[in-house]
Amino acid sequence: MTTRGWITTAIAVVGVGLMVVSYLFWTTPACNTTVACSNPRVPFAAGIFVLGVLIAFSAGAFYSVYKGGK
Amino acid sequence: MTTETMTTKRELPQGIGRLSTGWIAFFAAMVAVTVVGLYAYFQQLGNGLIVTGLRDLGTGGGATWGLYVAYYVYFIGVSFAGITVAALIRIFKIEKLEPVARMGELLTVVSLILGALAILADLEHPWRAIVNLFEFGRPQSPFFGTFSMVIAGYLFASLVYLYVTSRRDAARLALQPSRFQGLYRFLAAGYEDTPEQRRIDRRATFWLAIAILPLLVIAHSTVGFVFGLQVGRPGWFGSLQAPGFVVLAGVSGIGNLIMLAAIVRWATKTEKRITVDAFAWLAKLLLGLLLVYLYFTAVEILTITYQASAAEQVLSDALLKGTYAWIFWGAIVSLVAAAVLLTWKALTRRWTIAAAVAAGILVNIGAVAKRYLIVVPSQTHGQLLPYPIGSYTPNWVEFAVVFGLFSLGAIMIGVFMKVFPIVPLEEAEQ
Repeated sequence: MTTRGWITTAIAVVGVGLMVVSYLFWTTPACNTTVACSNPRVPFAAGIFVLGVLIAFSAGAFYSVYKGGK
Repeated sequence: MTTETMTTKRELPQGIGRLSTGWIAFFAAMVAVTVVGLYAYFQQLGNGLIVTGLRDLGTGGGATWGLYVAYYVYFIGVSFAGITVAALIRIFKIEKLEPVARMGELLTVVSLILGALAILADLEHPWRAIVNLFEFGRPQSPFFGTFSMVIAGYLFASLVYLYVTSRRDAARLALQPSRFQGLYRFLAAGYEDTPEQRRIDRRATFWLAIAILPLLVIAHSTVGFVFGLQVGRPGWFGSLQAPGFVVLAGVSGIGNLIMLAAIVRWATKTEKRITVDAFAWLAKLLLGLLLVYLYFTAVEILTITYQASAAEQVLSDALLKGTYAWIFWGAIVSLVAAAVLLTWKALTRRWTIAAAVAAGILVNIGAVAKRYLIVVPSQTHGQLLPYPIGSYTPNWVEFAVVFGLFSLGAIMIGVFMKVFPIVPLEEAEQ
């Protein structure tokens, strides 16, 4: 695989990884029984999910723009 | 003659950078409508939603979601077309649609921005809502999915797609001295038109298309789930909401793309590029989606009239023969008329641009009406608790904001056309 391919894959994996981790773990509330623990486990986890979406798709722009060698 | 030829040679293609009297008049009119919309919005921001026709459900006797949410759903639906058509071109290599690909991508980006603004217009404290969504939002909620998938993911993916597919033209235009040369150089980002770069771009756009298509279905389904998962609201809860949203999104989106393509063809004098064949392809796609949607509508009518619960019966009466009947039957007539027109053209194989545009207008009238009917009647008439029947009439503030959004969209597309080729350049146009 070329350097372009490796870096693009890495960007996509980081983005999808952030989406999966934030969706499955960080946004999950600690409990559903009281208001106090009903917030996501990690503050702004939803924002991290969106960031993951943005990073994942920016891989496409990188793949096109990158000028490095093989 | 020599001077004229040299001047012509320096001119950018498709009227880029040249402001005609007609364009300036169009721009001024759109700015005026947008300013009125902004004035109305600031009235609402300062005084609260009380200045609109929106009121509380139940005891308030009104609807909390009205014109803004109906148009939010409509704008998000319109976004379906552009990126779908662009993706279909890349995946299935439909060359006849190549000239409308970029305007489709642009339509997607613009309509997603308008959709986001429409939903923000519905909020009394938009900034507070945005911060809370990112801090406390839970992706399990369709509301979060709507914002993250539709607004953030879908919009960003579409922007990336538009950028990757535009670099080559930016690089070509950067070679020519013009007032936008710096911008073109920046957008080209060192693009060199080599076979290797073309191969890279083909691969990038192909995989982006592959990634965007499922995102598109998820995004439009999620908007449907906002309504379809609400078990306590007759008329909304149902498994057909998500697929219905996806299909009607395609119908309104393709209809809009046909209208935009006709306007661009006329304005940029690209009759030889945007051929009748391109309109025929779009019209066939529109017909297929329209027939599926009419089937969904027939199933919906049959279901709500066959043996509905008491609450559903009140709602179906309001839709079919009560307060909302004129909107409902108006939508059905528009959609059926478009289907008949397109079917006739398909059977006779005599496609015309006028017929495609007429169908595009008709389906969009039907789509706006259907979006309104999805949002409003279930709030005013779909009560499980013993509240009186409500009513909702949008007032001038809401209409001004919605017209302002349309004008803003027209400004964005109009400015884009004066800065960048909305129809991809041919080799000869270098």
